[in-house]
Amino acid sequence: MFYRLSGVYHTRYSATRQLWPIPADRWQIGAVAVLALAAPLYMSDLYLSSYLLPWLIFSAATLALTLLMGLAGQLHFGFGAVMAIGAYTSIHLARAGVPFELALLAAGLMAALIGCLFGAAALRVKGLYLVMATLAMQFLVDWVIVNVNAISGGAVATLQTPQVSYLFVPVASLTARYYLALLWAAIVTLLVLNIKRTSFGRALVAVRDKDFAAAVIGVNIFKYKLLAFFTSSFLGGVTGSILAFCFYQAVTPSQFNFDVTIQLVAMALVGGLGSVIGGFLGAGFVLLAPIVLLNLIARMTDAGWLNVSTTLMAHIPLMLYGAMIIGFLLFEPLGLAKIYDNARKYFLVWPFRHTQS
Amino acid sequence: MSLLSLNNVEVAYDRVFLAIKGVSLDVEEGSMVALLGANGAGKSTTLKTISGLLAPERGAVRRGQVSFLGRDIGHLSPPQRVRMGLVHVLEGRRIFEHLTPNDNLLAAYPGHHARSSFKQLRDQAYAYFPRLAERSRSKAGYLSGGEQQMLAIARALMTEPRLIMLDEPSLGLAPVLVKEIFAIIRAINRTQKTSVLLVEQNATAALDVADHAYLIENGNIVMSGTAEVMKQNPDIQEFYLGGGERVDYHNVKHYRRRKRWLA
Repeated sequence: MFYRLSGVYHTRYSATRQLWPIPADRWQIGAVAVLALAAPLYMSDLYLSSYLLPWLIFSAATLALTLLMGLAGQLHFGFGAVMAIGAYTSIHLARAGVPFELALLAAGLMAALIGCLFGAAALRVKGLYLVMATLAMQFLVDWVIVNVNAISGGAVATLQTPQVSYLFVPVASLTARYYLALLWAAIVTLLVLNIKRTSFGRALVAVRDKDFAAAVIGVNIFKYKLLAFFTSSFLGGVTGSILAFCFYQAVTPSQFNFDVTIQLVAMALVGGLGSVIGGFLGAGFVLLAPIVLLNLIARMTDAGWLNVSTTLMAHIPLMLYGAMIIGFLLFEPLGLAKIYDNARKYFLVWPFRHTQS
Repeated sequence: MSLLSLNNVEVAYDRVFLAIKGVSLDVEEGSMVALLGANGAGKSTTLKTISGLLAPERGAVRRGQVSFLGRDIGHLSPPQRVRMGLVHVLEGRRIFEHLTPNDNLLAAYPGHHARSSFKQLRDQAYAYFPRLAERSRSKAGYLSGGEQQMLAIARALMTEPRLIMLDEPSLGLAPVLVKEIFAIIRAINRTQKTSVLLVEQNATAALDVADHAYLIENGNIVMSGTAEVMKQNPDIQEFYLGGGERVDYHNVKHYRRRKRWLA
């Protein structure tokens, strides 16, 4: 088989320590990168703008969340609010004439700052209690945004994003917006992949697995919990403003409400907590599965195979989608990433059935 | 016919990692069998296979069968196996820390399925472990390590088992306590005719009490025999009992003895 370890001999430490030591993995990544870069050439505008673009942005958001929930083990049910802070910060700065690059940076910093403030609760509480603390953040931030007119312009107001340019390219055409989102998704992916193999990542995993055991081997829990909130909220804030500028091209409070938070948590869980490929798979599944199912059902009714009322037709995809989430999690409780990993391991030891110690 | 028999059992974790490969062993009614082996040899996996606890650790039996009382129990859930009279004392005790020892025992009592009353069983457990009776009203989390191990065994006895499986009962205990606990296990085995399957690192202590022993290495059973025979085996003495006779290192050519069952 093409996908195997045998015959792969690394002769230098740098070769064994590279991100993807198996050649087949590198080819896969290369193929995906080429497909993603060439997407505007072969994809229709509809697919590019309403499928691929949000998938990339939500994948970045899921990765930011999985860094906190999966790697550092700190439950966060207010990530929509983190993204909202980023989006509103950047849009106000951009409107005031601040260059977009700086506005993005400020968005991340603002989100990180406020995220850390609520994350400080994690120093005292764990598990479900931390969920409550972060939920409080979600509702507080929502309330402030809706009720302070200087921020949102009112509960139902929509702020249009101003014309900005990124690295001298105007962020206006679909292609430009797509490439900006792709760039950001690539940056976040590489960052999270690399965090996992640095001392920072190992410290986060230690804090997740047993925080007092981490403390007795000299890991400063206080520092690393806050750093986890800082990093994750920073990425979340920037992703929020990328979402606003590249996808919605406007900001309203409802874009970042509690539903979005739940969706993000679902993406991280369905994909597989703490996994990078899982972030992409989870975001893709949660975003695209309902659309694909809806199209499928619609096509079936058009062809006359299925005779249902329109109200039922709207509900069938949702029911199927819920059943699919439960089904996948029953089949593999550790998420889509684990299914991928099992398949990969199967090929790595093929034609044998098992590995041994 | 033996009480418990494993026939060529193969277990894989995560579908790809093979932990034990073709383990076969028998436990006779009323006997005491020790399963010896180094760390990671597959001892605990074997016990979990028997008690049905592989699923939470993402393991599965890929081949072979486990039969108890002549019945294939591969498809039964852990509680059903307990009801058949098969009980597993987990490594690291796992007592219910927030309950008192008394409530711990009550939690394991099978209710209307039981043959004897709770009071009978409890008094019997306290007779084996008098120390628990003294501390029966304090929180179990505050008991010492040895007392917690005693509680774990006493709790297993509440299910009126035919076979009790003990995973490293000597873990982290002082030698004096190890001796005490092993004597009690032997007494339970003798007086109640409860069969015992004992997994131990402490080979000396285990071979002193057991009738029969199996040696497991790298997921394979490599040796078996009565405890007396096993104790005399020079390889067992060297690798598991520590030393045997002293070796004169001046005359020795191969100063590291090979494990000769490893080809």
